[in-house]
Amino acid sequence: MKKIATFFKEHPWFKNIWIFLAVMGPGIITANVDNDAGGIATYSLAGAHFGYTLLWSLIPITLALIIVQEMCARMAIATGKGLADLIRENFGIKVTFYLMLALFFVNITNVMAEFAGVAASLEIFHISKFISVPLAALFVWMLVVRGTYKSVEKIFLFACFFYIAYIISGFIAKPDWNEVLHATFMPEFTFDLKYSIMLVGIIGTTIAPWMQFYLQSSIVEKGITPEDYKLVRLDVVGGCILAPLVAFFIVVACAATMYKAGIQIEDAKDAALALQPLAGNYASWLFAFGLFVASIFAASVLPLSTAYSICEGMGWEAGVDKRFEEAPGFFGLYTAMIAIGAVAVLIPNFPLLGIMYFSQVGNGILLPFILIYMLILINDKDLMGEFVNNRAFNVIAVLTVVVVIALTLAMVFLTLRYGAG
Amino acid sequence: MYFLVFTMKLFLYLSEILGSKIVDRDGKIVGKLCDVSMRMNAEVYPRASGIVIEQGRLKHTYAHVPFEHVSQLDEEISLDIPVGEIEFQNKWWKNDFTLCADVLDQQVVDTDHQKVVRVNDVHLLRVDNRLYLAHVDVGLRGIVRRLEWTPLVDAMVKLCSPQSKYLTREDFISWKNTQVLTSGRYKNVLRLDVARKKLSQIPAADLAEIMEDLDIYEKLSLFKSLETPVQRKVFTDLATQEKQDLIEQLSDMEAADLLENIPADEATDVLSTLSKEKMLQLTRRMENETAKELRMLLGFAKDSAGGLMTTEYLYLMREGTVADALKIIKDNVNFPGNVYHIYVVDDNHRLLGSTSLRRLINENAERPILEVCLPKNIFVRTDDGMEEIALLLEKYKFSSIPVVDNHEVLQGVITTDDVMEELIALAWSKYKEKLV
Repeated sequence: MKKIATFFKEHPWFKNIWIFLAVMGPGIITANVDNDAGGIATYSLAGAHFGYTLLWSLIPITLALIIVQEMCARMAIATGKGLADLIRENFGIKVTFYLMLALFFVNITNVMAEFAGVAASLEIFHISKFISVPLAALFVWMLVVRGTYKSVEKIFLFACFFYIAYIISGFIAKPDWNEVLHATFMPEFTFDLKYSIMLVGIIGTTIAPWMQFYLQSSIVEKGITPEDYKLVRLDVVGGCILAPLVAFFIVVACAATMYKAGIQIEDAKDAALALQPLAGNYASWLFAFGLFVASIFAASVLPLSTAYSICEGMGWEAGVDKRFEEAPGFFGLYTAMIAIGAVAVLIPNFPLLGIMYFSQVGNGILLPFILIYMLILINDKDLMGEFVNNRAFNVIAVLTVVVVIALTLAMVFLTLRYGAG
Repeated sequence: MYFLVFTMKLFLYLSEILGSKIVDRDGKIVGKLCDVSMRMNAEVYPRASGIVIEQGRLKHTYAHVPFEHVSQLDEEISLDIPVGEIEFQNKWWKNDFTLCADVLDQQVVDTDHQKVVRVNDVHLLRVDNRLYLAHVDVGLRGIVRRLEWTPLVDAMVKLCSPQSKYLTREDFISWKNTQVLTSGRYKNVLRLDVARKKLSQIPAADLAEIMEDLDIYEKLSLFKSLETPVQRKVFTDLATQEKQDLIEQLSDMEAADLLENIPADEATDVLSTLSKEKMLQLTRRMENETAKELRMLLGFAKDSAGGLMTTEYLYLMREGTVADALKIIKDNVNFPGNVYHIYVVDDNHRLLGSTSLRRLINENAERPILEVCLPKNIFVRTDDGMEEIALLLEKYKFSSIPVVDNHEVLQGVITTDDVMEELIALAWSKYKEKLV
């Protein structure tokens, strides 16, 4: 018995797996949280209204996601500091403060969306939002206040597993796989206004400001050394492929059913309900369950990431492992975001839709600044040392950033003009 | 240095002068202040060595001007050289230790509380035309000041809660308790290449700094593994709290042995932080002479000359010659105290005069020592306060000054190093009183 255990530990092949398992986490978690309530709603709408025709866009999105996230991971490894730390140290307090202020308000609206997602998904199982939302908020809050970083990360990693629900429901929907593959790899472009808005919306929800801060901080928090850089890259790239893959199946599930049946939906809850007559109870429940997990997952990560970033930037004590008295700013911000997010969903006639518009616009305005700061930082040789961007990668990175910024600004414009989604 | 205490606007914040307009000798605009470089030598409070000027709207060029050329430092900064003599470059090479690049907005270790904090502002002390780094501001007021919201926020807080602590609270860390960190990866690795503070004069300094990051057991084991002379040096450089912790962990025998062998003023400081019982236990274990000395020092007020002085100094009897004095200095190369001054006493140890190495080396070796002495009236008394000491040190530019009791018996000496720390703290508290 012992021999077998030693074999698994000592064999070079398994040894690498053990090391990878130790390093794994930040990349996969970040990418998966990206498929939050808002993301699922967007992908459902894309599938239900445009069929498979938008599937191709997930490939360039995956590449863009990998390029941006890899830069964050590299900065974390080279400097041992979070993105907010680096922005503060290199661009001063004014820039940092206003950036953090914007991040706080944008992410509060994101948290509201997540709690709305919790409420909607559980209403499918006939649970009142006045029960589900307070309980969810309490759960999320306790998770961090009572947990350690390791335990929190394990729970998050475990939560990633539940996204498989969407992959299964994608199969249950019985799509025409030929058609799916054709639309993905040999797309025919049709550019009308609604299609463009949807396209930009997908990109907007996939690359969000908070992700850069969260990914970088969590790699730093794990204390990963430059020797493990390759494994970190694997984690990040893996996450960046996994997340659009889940999105892919959401689009497929909705396209194979609602689009074919010509059903118009408004949000993710509609999608789950519409699946019932078209693909059966299980598909509908899996879809709702996936929405619930995604929402509660994002509702834990977003306030955590925001509180971390702000404390980093302002130089306040922060950390899951600290006690409340040691890091009042951190826990105060974390608690406030959860409380505001949860309460907003429970207020009758709260203009949630208006808030969502604001959230999309805010994300879109914030993202260009963050991407530009990231590019400046990653080209700083003093800071990055051997991890500095090389010329070839820089060209790709700059191009990606320019395209993402252009599309994001287009989204802001379209959102302001025509409303969300 | 007496005026130091009473001049207004003695302290200023880096944020107040950054971006200030700089004009040359003829009033022509040179550019604006973009950084201040610091002299990182053995001083506890580093002095500004120069300013970095930024020029140009879109494309910036930079120039470094030695601080001697700064003739006025206020909202507007004037130089005493013409703009033509200043050479601008495309990039300012950050070889020096500068306030913006290495301190402001960076993380530093508060070695007193052993935690990492972020610097929101830098508090500078202006004496004459010299600028010293006194404190770093890590508080909320610093953030608000940097954002230029102070008047607004103050007004609002006053309106809502006039008693708020926010209005008066200053979260400062004295520079001597601040450790700069590397700007690269390893977050808590100390930056040893920056020569600074009295710590850097001795090779054991890094050990002391590293020890502060360890828990008490690791600390103890590291400390015990050192050789005795290194132990003494390291111990002297630890923060007060650390010293206290360490002494309490060592056996009485070890502790007494250690305290006997470090400068008496240091030992006094440590002993005065301990409980009365522990203090007596330790002094009882010491050899009689040292214990007597320490007990005497413990009797003086902490900020009086008696409390500040050290009892280690070089002295010579009145009959001695210049050659004798030089021999004493030579024999005491490794003396822990000041070796540049030597004091002449009579049979009752009364102070007769003092002389310095500089005077001695130019004298005929056979001359009686009393002939080359400075007048004996340069001294302070054990109960004199900080300001008298500062006044004399400044007036005569001595690096140390003798302390006598009421019978003019020489008791000890005070060095500039001892005073500077206390003086900055005192100046700051007086300045604050005036503000309120």
